[in-house]
Amino acid sequence: MNPSDSPSSVETGDRRQHIGPTQYILQWPGRTAILLKANPDLAISAGILVILASLAVFGPLVWPYDPLAISLRETLQPPSLAHPMGTDHIGRDIFARFNLGALISLSVGATVVITGAIVGGAIGLISGVSGGMVDNVLMRSMDAILAFPPLILAMAVTVGLGGGLETAALGIMLTSVPYYARLIRSDVLRIRKLPFIESAVAAGAGPVRIIVRHIIPHTISTLLVQAAALFGYSVLSLAALGFVGLGTQVPTPEWGVMITEGLQYALTGQWWIGVFPGLGLLAAVAATSILADKIRDFLDPRGQYSRL
Amino acid sequence: MARAVVSRIIGAVIAVFGASLIAFLFLRVLPGNPARLVVGPLASEEALQAQMEKMGLHLPLPVQYWRYIADFLQGDWGFSYGAGQPVLVQFQDRLPASLELGIYAFIFAFLAAVVLALAATYKRNPLVDGTVRTLSIFGMGMPPFWLALLLLVVFYEYLGLFPGPGLQLSRSTTPPPVVTGLITVDSLIAGDIHAFGEALSYLVLPSIALGMLPFGYLVRLLRANLLDVTHEPFIVVVRSKGIGLWRTFSRHALPNAFLPTLTASGMIFAQLLGGSVLVEKVFNWPGIGALVVDSILRKDFAVVQAFIIVSAVLYVSINAVVDTLYGIIDPRVRG
Repeated sequence: MNPSDSPSSVETGDRRQHIGPTQYILQWPGRTAILLKANPDLAISAGILVILASLAVFGPLVWPYDPLAISLRETLQPPSLAHPMGTDHIGRDIFARFNLGALISLSVGATVVITGAIVGGAIGLISGVSGGMVDNVLMRSMDAILAFPPLILAMAVTVGLGGGLETAALGIMLTSVPYYARLIRSDVLRIRKLPFIESAVAAGAGPVRIIVRHIIPHTISTLLVQAAALFGYSVLSLAALGFVGLGTQVPTPEWGVMITEGLQYALTGQWWIGVFPGLGLLAAVAATSILADKIRDFLDPRGQYSRL
Repeated sequence: MARAVVSRIIGAVIAVFGASLIAFLFLRVLPGNPARLVVGPLASEEALQAQMEKMGLHLPLPVQYWRYIADFLQGDWGFSYGAGQPVLVQFQDRLPASLELGIYAFIFAFLAAVVLALAATYKRNPLVDGTVRTLSIFGMGMPPFWLALLLLVVFYEYLGLFPGPGLQLSRSTTPPPVVTGLITVDSLIAGDIHAFGEALSYLVLPSIALGMLPFGYLVRLLRANLLDVTHEPFIVVVRSKGIGLWRTFSRHALPNAFLPTLTASGMIFAQLLGGSVLVEKVFNWPGIGALVVDSILRKDFAVVQAFIIVSAVLYVSINAVVDTLYGIIDPRVRG
């Protein structure tokens, strides 16, 4: 992957061959196959995410059981062909609940990451560009947020705003903002000193143009990598809030809520209630963190971080 | 050097005050009146007003904040109306158990990370390295409360190797006299090896559950730093002078790879206290975590505020200590 790859050209050895958009699309599966073959861990993690996403989207359409339907004749059944993940204490099919949980976790996680990256990125940008008093105030408030235990802060925000999934997402987003802001700020400070900014100033570009056309594009990759890395944090925090009874409310099957329900039965032999949603979390978070590493490797051709 | 330390301390104090101010303001603007919590939902408006005056809630916010900080510094941390106890007493009862769990979780995470990072880089065995990387990703991807549940199911219920949730010592063992509040330390002071061993066995599962995430992070960092260091020219020089592989690692590579890990360790150790909340809940551990969660749910401000300030102080002071240590260990930073 070369950053200079554009949709109209493809690299073949040393020679650049110009191809049309149709050909590019036709070659795309082959190119993807080569990429995945060269990076097996990328293939595995992307595969896991595709599987989870399709379970989340198509699972409810295809799977015959309703995630909320109670069936008292089928309580606490171990995993079987009819119920691949068993049933819970009121006979709800755990596989159906798992799929809906995937939808909630992945979509809320993505929302939190996107909004957090925008807010945190904006704060970092303002801080890095303006410097002085503004920078000081913004960064000290970021430090103050970081000094809070993140989970406690997220919980307090959630309770304070009345509970529910949206407030939980907002609370988690708030705790993630400093991580973006600090990173983007240092990135902006680094970029500001680069020669091309100086030449843009010399060419007569105004501050708005320099920020929009020269600084922001160079921070996007940092922001992207950080967002991918914080996706796992968001998903796990959401599950943690669900676990203590904040955020998603029973009977909505969010993975953290499902683990709480499983806790009561874990020590009486019905391990499957709590174990499967945790496996879902583990798979989603592990896959995105591998993906984040890979994205960073691609965006960082100098390989500064390749050994992490 | 001295100037750096002083400015570091000033920064730390500002951060603590910032956190306390945010905690104070935030918990004040929340909907829900703490006086209402005391007098109950059926009390009359006059009773509510009287209680608000008694608690100082009618005063302007800056005055309330000033009073709170002044009282806090004098050891009056407020009263938990949910539990009917002064907050300080609750913290004295419950903080040691959380600290002990946090310390052992950190020890587990740190030792496991050092051993496995060395194993992964020492002879570059791809199988060992792959296993360590997988463990690291698993460690960082697992919800700690789920791992706690898993450990209980496997090691307590099925294998019976370790004791289950709810206690720090079995009921038949007399707890050692309280000196530090940490049971393992107190039993050693009292010379009670039996109680020490038992307390340790109760600590194993929760420590692993809590320490797995920091372990995953630390092992990843340390492995990367070790690989970086072993590519540096001075290691080639050391090796070409005929110094053995083990000595090269233990005397030259490891100390140099440790520095970034040290910074991360400080932050992790400080956060373990706040992070133990959920693991404590699963293990029914008599620590501060469960209390704080319940207090948040009950909107019992005093406890939450005190917890936030205590964790902020821990976080900031540990980081300040680590930064100072860093300057002492690494001559390049001092410059």
